[in-house]
Amino acid sequence: MSNSTDNLQKIKSSLKRRSRSESRFRWYGRVAIIIGLAAVLALFVDIISKGHGAFKATYIQVDIHYDGDRLGVTSSADKSQLMQANWDALVKSGLREKFSDVSGRRDKRQLYKLVSNGTGFDLKEHLVANPLLLGETESQWLLADDDIDTYYKSWLDGEPYDARLTKKQIQWIDQLHQQGDIRLQLNTNLLTRGDSREPEQAGIYGAVMGSLLTLLLTLMLSFPIGVAAAIYLEEFATKNKFTDFIEVNINNLAAVPSIIFGLLGLAVFINFFHVPRSVPIMGGLVLTLMTLPTIIITSRAAIKSVPPSIREAALGMGASRYQVVLHHVLPLALPGMLTGAIIGMAQALGETAPLLMIGMVAFIVDIPQGFTDPATVLPVQIFLWADSPERAFIEKTSAAIMVLLSFLLIMNISAVWLRKRLERRW
Amino acid sequence: MPKMSFENHIMTQFDEELEEIRTQLMEMGGKVEQQLKNAIQAVIKADSRLAEEVIKEERLVDEMEVDIDEACILIIARRQPAASDLRFVMMVTKAINDLERIGDEARKIANHAVILSEQDGLSQGYKEVRHLGDSVSGMLANALDAFARFDVEAAMRTLEEDAQVDLDYKSALRELVTYMMEDPRSISRAINILWVVRSLERIGDHAKNLCEQIVYVVKGKDIRHQ
Amino acid sequence: MKQAKAAAKSATDTKSNPKQNLEVDTTQATVGNRFCENPKMSMRDVNVFYGDKQAIYDVSVDIAKNEVIAMIGPSGCGKSTFLRSLNRMNDTVDGCKVEGEVLLDGHNIYQQNLDVVELRARVGMVFQKPNPFPKSIFENIAYGPKIHGLADSRVDLDEIVEGSLKKAGLWEEVKERLHQPGTGLSGGQQQRLCIARAIAVSPEVILMDEPCSALDPIATARIEELIEELSQNFTIAIVTHSMQQAARVSHRTAYFHLGKLIEVNPTEQVFTMPEHQLTEAYITGRFG
Repeated sequence: MSNSTDNLQKIKSSLKRRSRSESRFRWYGRVAIIIGLAAVLALFVDIISKGHGAFKATYIQVDIHYDGDRLGVTSSADKSQLMQANWDALVKSGLREKFSDVSGRRDKRQLYKLVSNGTGFDLKEHLVANPLLLGETESQWLLADDDIDTYYKSWLDGEPYDARLTKKQIQWIDQLHQQGDIRLQLNTNLLTRGDSREPEQAGIYGAVMGSLLTLLLTLMLSFPIGVAAAIYLEEFATKNKFTDFIEVNINNLAAVPSIIFGLLGLAVFINFFHVPRSVPIMGGLVLTLMTLPTIIITSRAAIKSVPPSIREAALGMGASRYQVVLHHVLPLALPGMLTGAIIGMAQALGETAPLLMIGMVAFIVDIPQGFTDPATVLPVQIFLWADSPERAFIEKTSAAIMVLLSFLLIMNISAVWLRKRLERRW
Repeated sequence: MPKMSFENHIMTQFDEELEEIRTQLMEMGGKVEQQLKNAIQAVIKADSRLAEEVIKEERLVDEMEVDIDEACILIIARRQPAASDLRFVMMVTKAINDLERIGDEARKIANHAVILSEQDGLSQGYKEVRHLGDSVSGMLANALDAFARFDVEAAMRTLEEDAQVDLDYKSALRELVTYMMEDPRSISRAINILWVVRSLERIGDHAKNLCEQIVYVVKGKDIRHQ
Repeated sequence: MKQAKAAAKSATDTKSNPKQNLEVDTTQATVGNRFCENPKMSMRDVNVFYGDKQAIYDVSVDIAKNEVIAMIGPSGCGKSTFLRSLNRMNDTVDGCKVEGEVLLDGHNIYQQNLDVVELRARVGMVFQKPNPFPKSIFENIAYGPKIHGLADSRVDLDEIVEGSLKKAGLWEEVKERLHQPGTGLSGGQQQRLCIARAIAVSPEVILMDEPCSALDPIATARIEELIEELSQNFTIAIVTHSMQQAARVSHRTAYFHLGKLIEVNPTEQVFTMPEHQLTEAYITGRFG
């Protein structure tokens, strides 16, 4: 058959072209992935290179004499005495002793500026923890001021940034360095303290707690409501114009800009229900509104993916609708629902815009202890720090971003793990 | 009543296969009919050459039977016929059996024709053979006709002819017995003719079976042994 | 159905043969032996609608006790719909409406106050695709007895599971792995598991919707053998696409065409001498 050999010829000649276009197509995909990976890598390198410094802080060693007479403290158990004592004087005298050649008011003031102005409180706490120290002298590492910190770190890196220091201060730091009395130490403040105007004392613990409380509330509210709504819409509601209308609205809500939810929260919860502003309850309510559509949509998708044959089998056995849902649909849909919920939570964790509208952008020093304490959340904290003029906040901002990203990573990994763990084959 | 038809199957190949065995059956019927006619002629005309031919050709009839049988088995195995198709295929397997038997009987008649042609003697008994031979071959022709048209009425009419054939057979027997008593010399000859007559009667029975099967295939009613 | 009709039509058009007359008047009543004495189930003038579309027209037929009745017909003829209306599985379909009477032991199952849960415990169902729950073999069988509260103790439950698996001819194959997932079995075993699951609640009637269409011939033969055995204790209604299967397992065969019940007759008659021309045309492979 000449026809078939002809065809064979044609097929053969087209083969090369086809395989070429196929490999070209593959390369498009690879290039796209490489670009994506490069972007992510650049982001991580940038953030980590900027932020890793924040996990270390500069400390200066000073001999501190816990002079009871000077402090007016006779017992470390007496709270009012501790409150009234002039702790900064201890630091100042310690510094004066170290640099005995410094005289004159101006020089002295600059000398005092070497250490953070919150050092006095640290000394108080130290004394309370070690009451035997009263009247004794102890050599202690004191937290340096943020300008000193910035200078010392940049000096160690070989590009000293000295714009905010005087010559004398630079000289002192040199001197301290030669004596081995200045060093970098793990910065525990970052993860254990709340926000502060002083960069060296500022931490993100308050924001982390605020985020956790807000997310906990969001999860507690949005998961049950979302799942219940999804089950009702999928399994019980009859399909009619009304349910179609609801479905369209839910889908649209998922695409509404999040700041609108902030405005809604402001109008409804704060102005109408008088929920206090800046508290995790408020944040949780607003974020619940925002994540609900996501959770409903993913839960419905999870329910839809349960094979109808399983439902039929159970119905055919004489199970009631409720039993079908409880015994068969829910266990099979749960992995998908949880994944959806965690993705929704991750979205909520990274959300700032609606929280700005409800006052969670306030400067809050205290660590929130409950749902009704004023709080801020991680992304808002990042926003606040990024907005601060102090140079030391640059690395703090990046460090906070690293913390936020690691939370997101943990949540996403747990989503994958949960799905693997709970998923059953059928 | 549904008309018999081999058409309109979704598998047109099936149509063709059914049509094929029908054609083959008709061919075999025609061949057997011819064999019967020749055998009777051979007896009446004392034509031993014609008789030899009949004996030789009987093998062809046997071969046809085997071929059709195989085709039927293949259809059953491959197509799993149902209802009218099933009845038709089953009927064909039985009909070829009857036709083959008729072929056998024709050969027997031809055998006797050879013997008769070697014996000289009177033409006594030929009348009976001719008479019975005419009505039996007529019956067979009618049966095959009815089959070709799946004509139940014709088959029923043919069926009834068998009773007359049986009567004719009995009277022929009586005639032959009379001849033997009248003239003992004719006994061996008369016995040969008696065998011929007997074969003709058997052929009538097979033709009757054919007609019964036609009724079964068309109406789905089994009218045997009634 | 349109396709089948078109195919039949084109076949008649291309052949010179006198028309096979497939466009027979289907408005006439069902032919054959529809009714019997002391029926287990009886349907009277059943009409089923999907929205505005009517799927079943005036079907009246009886199913005798311990009978296997097969329902055959071209795709879309409504045989599955009819089967599903016998235990109200159609209730789950939006817009499906059933008119007429479906009597189980003389009581209408479409009565207002009847609980479908009880009905489905009495009229079990086996589906086209084997659909074991994604649970262990034991849990699959035990599910029905559990939700209906049939077992008083763990020992009872064990007995029910063993008995059901034995009746389904699956016990020997799975007794060593009762607590492994039912989805790990082969297709045929899964289907027998589904049958065992259905009989675990001791239903009176078992509906089977093309139970072998997803199985290989050996597995099919096992199921058919099982149907034969089950018919001693249960009444079985089976929908099948395989005419040979209907011929092999059923006592009576019902032929559906375009939502109408055309003929009901003893199986041996339907497959050798059908009464209605449409049945004849269908089972001889002239359309469908």
